[in-house]
Amino acid sequence: MKLIKKYIPLAIVFTFGVLTLASYYVPHKVSVDYTELVSQWENIVYAFAFLLGLISLFYSHYNKIARKADGWGYSIFVFVGFLAMVIPAYISGGKQGSETGITLLGWSFRYIYNALSSTMFAVLAFYIVSTAYRSFRIKSKQAFVLFVAAFILILGKVPLGQIIWDSVLGWTKCGVSDVIEWIMSVPAVAGKRGIMIGISIGAIVTSFKIIFGIEKQYLGKD
Amino acid sequence: MYDSMIKNQFGFVLFSVLFAAINVSAAKPSQAVKKQTPAGAIPPIENLTFADMPYDVGGTALLKWDVRPTDNPDVMYQIYVSSLETGGWIKADEFPADTRTGKDIELPFWAWNASVKEHVVKVELPNYFGEARTTGPVFNFKVVTIKDKKSFDSGIVSGKTASNWFRLDRLNNLLLLVTIITVFFWAVSHAKRKGLFIRRIAGLDAIDEALGRATEMGKPVYYVPGIGGMSGISTIASTFILGEVSKKVAQYDTQIKVPHYDPIVMTVCKEVVKQSFLEAGRPDSYRDDINQFISQDQFSYAASVDGMISREKPAAIFFMGYFMAESLLLAEVGATSGAIQIAGTDQESQLPFFFTACDYTLIGEELYAAGAYLSKEPMLMSALKVQDFGKLVVMVSVFFGIILVAVGARLHWDPFVQVILNLFGAY
Repeated sequence: MKLIKKYIPLAIVFTFGVLTLASYYVPHKVSVDYTELVSQWENIVYAFAFLLGLISLFYSHYNKIARKADGWGYSIFVFVGFLAMVIPAYISGGKQGSETGITLLGWSFRYIYNALSSTMFAVLAFYIVSTAYRSFRIKSKQAFVLFVAAFILILGKVPLGQIIWDSVLGWTKCGVSDVIEWIMSVPAVAGKRGIMIGISIGAIVTSFKIIFGIEKQYLGKD
Repeated sequence: MYDSMIKNQFGFVLFSVLFAAINVSAAKPSQAVKKQTPAGAIPPIENLTFADMPYDVGGTALLKWDVRPTDNPDVMYQIYVSSLETGGWIKADEFPADTRTGKDIELPFWAWNASVKEHVVKVELPNYFGEARTTGPVFNFKVVTIKDKKSFDSGIVSGKTASNWFRLDRLNNLLLLVTIITVFFWAVSHAKRKGLFIRRIAGLDAIDEALGRATEMGKPVYYVPGIGGMSGISTIASTFILGEVSKKVAQYDTQIKVPHYDPIVMTVCKEVVKQSFLEAGRPDSYRDDINQFISQDQFSYAASVDGMISREKPAAIFFMGYFMAESLLLAEVGATSGAIQIAGTDQESQLPFFFTACDYTLIGEELYAAGAYLSKEPMLMSALKVQDFGKLVVMVSVFFGIILVAVGARLHWDPFVQVILNLFGAY
């Protein structure tokens, strides 16, 4: 049992990990074919996993409706939404457009899916405002620096702000756009690169931990 | 008798010379055949050779010939390629004669002789003959020089491209990899003998506080693993954290919900959570609907999770993994619901949103370190030392790199600067 649950999966991870790592240094066609093959296998596994996900989704919402749990009415919309896309897709043969215009699936995409998706994305604008308000509360020295940088950026992006800057600080011969450019290309990039270097090194070490079987929590423990 | 010996010897010498001559011409099939040029015309292209592009999958040819004194912007070169024995020429490239030398090929000094004394032109054969036909068959090439609307053909060179087995240009990367692997194994073996100090990470220390709060309030804990696939390092790191969080959740006998974007991640997380409940001695508390697939659409996922958070008002929410635009949609709703929020992602573009909307945020590498930090396993913790070593290497490289390149540029040591840049370049 330990062989099947632990050693074989670890051997598979090690083999494919080393081969994938080696493929970075081996440009040969064999290496390219291997990468494509693994990618195809990933798609196959993904298709089956998606089926599992769908079953999990339906099972969970069916239970909610059956048990009349809190908010069970929303679960009905999962099935309604699913059918509202799948039935038109079936009728239209998976095509969104035809010679005569849009198909039923195209209509569902345009007037249901896209409308809902755009609405959700539009909400982001309001959340950004409330987040900006929260971040502008100066609680520490760092928050003050953040506030100053953000304030200059906001000021420089609107014509009124530029006029105010020119009338108050015009004598410095330093335009607000120059300051913004400096903030974005010097301190912002420095911080960003520092984070990115840390992330890259962390990703390399995490990969080694998985390839060499040091980290095997995803397999369960003995 | 003597005469016949001389004749035989002469015949043997003549045969040997002819044989050698044939061999020489056979050994250099890619050398162009020189043509007679009329007086007053542009001098002929010299030493036109064919070579296979090194360190590639195949299908790319390199044409090289000597730079001529007459090469200037008014003179143009045209490159022709053919897969037929005669004719069938396709124009592959055209450029001014004062461009395209060996220096323009972007390869490091240890893998390429970047000479400015010869023209080097890459011909991507798949662009003209398709992917399948470019490695194996012999192709013919010629260079046409154009000046004052007159054209002069070079000789024809032939050759075939091949797949190569090693990226010599990535040797610097390979050496760094070998060094890091060596340090990695040293650190892991060192961990067995000695414990290692790991600095406190406030976001991870707050996990107990968050779970305690959820237990006291009798409200669920939400763990959101993001929209990454299982091949993403941040998602893998997230499953490690989920293991530790769900173990504590099982110990505290509180509820946890894990909404998923990716069905493969869901399958892995199911195993992780089940195992954690088992390890905590509470297998009876495990339910299959802890992990729930939501949607594979970014905003549908965000809308659904937002709805669940708004209705159930969880006491604690964890956002760990790969996030994009939905990060703020989720974190802001969580903040409004009054939950204690701990986030971690390696997407630096989303970090500001988590900083402002969450109580604690793990920055990139802290997310990777979290599994080791929480499990306290010596081997995992020692691997964190490799991250520190990597950062040390980067810091030292940046420091000395800046000094050397600045000094080299100031003193106009161009080859020296090029060597430094090559050493730290990615190919």
